[in-house]
Amino acid sequence: MIDSLSSDTMVVGVGNTILSDDGVGVHAARLLQSDPRVPAGVEILDGGTLGLELVPYVSDAYRILFLDAVNSGSAPGTRVRMTGKDLLGLSAGLSVHQLGVANLIAALAFASTKPQDIVVLGVQPANTDWGISLSPAVEATLTQLVDAAVAQLRQWQESAHDGLPLAKSSCTP
Amino acid sequence: MARIVVDPVTRIEGHLRIEAQVDGGVVSDAWSSGTMFRGIELILRGRDPREAWIWAQRICGVCTMVHALASVNAVEDALSIEVPDNARLIRNIIAATQTIQDHVIHFYHLHALDWVDVVSSLKADPAATSKLAQSISDWPLSSTQYFKGVQDRIRTLAESKQLSLFGSGYWGHPAYHLPPEANLMAVAHYLEALTFQREFIRIHAVLGGKNPHLQTFLVGGMATAMDPNEPGATINPERMDFLVQVAKSAQPFVSQVYIPDVLAIAGFYRDWFGRGEGLGNFMSYGGYPQGSIHDYAAYFLPRGIILNRDLSKVYPVDPGNITEYVAHSWYQYSRGNQVGLNPYEGETNPKYTGPKPPYEFLEVDQKYSWLKAPRYDNKAIEVGPLARLLVAYAAGQPDVKALIDTTLAKLNAPPAALFSTLGRVAARALETQLLADRLVGWLEQLRNNMATGNLSIFNGEKWDPSSWPQTARGFGFFEAPRGSLGHWVEIENQTIKNYQAVVPSTWNAGPRDPSGQRGAYEAALIKTPIAEPERPLEILRTVHSFDPCLACAVHVVDARGRPIPVLKQEDEAVRFLGGSERSETTK
Repeated sequence: MIDSLSSDTMVVGVGNTILSDDGVGVHAARLLQSDPRVPAGVEILDGGTLGLELVPYVSDAYRILFLDAVNSGSAPGTRVRMTGKDLLGLSAGLSVHQLGVANLIAALAFASTKPQDIVVLGVQPANTDWGISLSPAVEATLTQLVDAAVAQLRQWQESAHDGLPLAKSSCTP
Repeated sequence: MARIVVDPVTRIEGHLRIEAQVDGGVVSDAWSSGTMFRGIELILRGRDPREAWIWAQRICGVCTMVHALASVNAVEDALSIEVPDNARLIRNIIAATQTIQDHVIHFYHLHALDWVDVVSSLKADPAATSKLAQSISDWPLSSTQYFKGVQDRIRTLAESKQLSLFGSGYWGHPAYHLPPEANLMAVAHYLEALTFQREFIRIHAVLGGKNPHLQTFLVGGMATAMDPNEPGATINPERMDFLVQVAKSAQPFVSQVYIPDVLAIAGFYRDWFGRGEGLGNFMSYGGYPQGSIHDYAAYFLPRGIILNRDLSKVYPVDPGNITEYVAHSWYQYSRGNQVGLNPYEGETNPKYTGPKPPYEFLEVDQKYSWLKAPRYDNKAIEVGPLARLLVAYAAGQPDVKALIDTTLAKLNAPPAALFSTLGRVAARALETQLLADRLVGWLEQLRNNMATGNLSIFNGEKWDPSSWPQTARGFGFFEAPRGSLGHWVEIENQTIKNYQAVVPSTWNAGPRDPSGQRGAYEAALIKTPIAEPERPLEILRTVHSFDPCLACAVHVVDARGRPIPVLKQEDEAVRFLGGSERSETTK
């Protein structure tokens, strides 16, 4: 059996793990992979800094949670929450990978036949120079980012009254 | 006289800035600046060379596997390791899959809209579009109803004012020449290309373990379980059937959609076969070994260099002739600004001396880029699909020669037409076709090996570091979708002493060298006509034809983003939005 690429609910960590705080989304996604609070059936993806190349992984999902470094012009470690619509409406996005993520969300708006619910949870980076560890301010926020991601996933789970399960229920092709 | 600034040029991550001098409606000079900071060695120094690829694949955000492959090649070269035939085949399959996917994404999602006016497609007659589509291809998705459906989706987007989704959007620009029906057909294929890649990339999902960051690379081979009798093995007969089936799905899309679209679009823009040539020097490290990696002559795409657009001669590539200059780059070398250093001796000492942002223009007489200027034997060189196919064509590779000759005949154009902006677009499409055809053959070879009991996939002779020499150095190379990628590793006492990567976009997007020779983008923009300096669509066409991906060449620091190119004319006091944040954060 060949696995399907995507689930109905996806978490996508975005960022570059060799550029310090830039990789905070990927670090959070890795933590979620072993977090027992994550509802069953949710697929967690290390998206790196891919943009449109992520379309195959997320275009069949109903709900997508992006975790990313976001420059909101605030103090390092500040967390923000945006929806896909917020990102579409911005002429200049806030995500450090905004061209990639915004392009991706834009392409999905046109290409996906699913009504997609997209949320971006972000953290203000302090340092995006070469390096594999997070700055103290961002490191201190990492747990909160993971908690916020879990809360978002649970909210989706509880509001699944529209008949959309979190996990793909049908047979995979 | 006006100075145009386009910043950023890329539709994807990374940051490229072009400044162009326009005189009398034509580009008279151009400067390319990337806001990159080189420094992968900062991450890799002191590490085990066998794990270098895991870090190296993060250099580039878009095609992660290319750096992984170049990295294992470099370490294998340093330690004189030959990989088993099955590992070679799987690497070729993974690489070809990446390149096919990348080229399709580039054409439809990052470049086509430089030629296709989305707004114009709203005026198309769906019945006439259907007729047009059926006249150029047998592709089944071509009914009136189908195109009407696509048009309705575009209209919905337009009415909700979301057409800016399609990049910068110079809709209605006088340099757009396609009739509305061709525009509608192209937008429909934009959507189909997304569906295509969704299925096609499953080859990576199977062979790479984890995706999109593949996990199965290994110094000495591949970490892919291969067993004809084991249902759980990554490669077993059932998986082989699946892989062949997916690989075969690429052929109709490429031959019935991608190639006909490129030919149709090219037919309306024939001027662009005479524009955007640039250097006339081309290099390919060679791609897709058919036997030993050292048997360059047997590569599917041969290794070689072409100089001064002379297709009668192919020169050999000696990596020892590669040097990098920093005369116009924000670095300093210990032996001064004028010398060129081979990457084995590479130094990365950043020193920003440019203007303090926000600024109007770069100081192009001085240093103006974070990219170094790589040169081969002191010559500026273009790399990429066009370079690969020209080298193969000149070397007489029969598949390449036949495909190029047939295509040129269809276009009623001479080989010299390939030295152009559209030549790059066409070469990328033809390479996709060549690889889609070849991919199935590599899979069949893999299947045969498995059937005849050849399951060897990893050469572990040199896995133990105690078997290594005290010092060793190696050059790893790979013809990535965008061109020649080289990794240079120096190993001492079982750890990495130095590591340098010269990526394709550094060759193409790099600045001038000490003798003032332009880089490939800079040269290609000369003589480009500019209809409207406020909307420099023509500059984007040529730069995008190289498939600029500065995700690997450039440090991703762009925090605020400027998705709309900003124009600045010398006599206007417009607040300039560009500039390099990088300079503010550089140590």
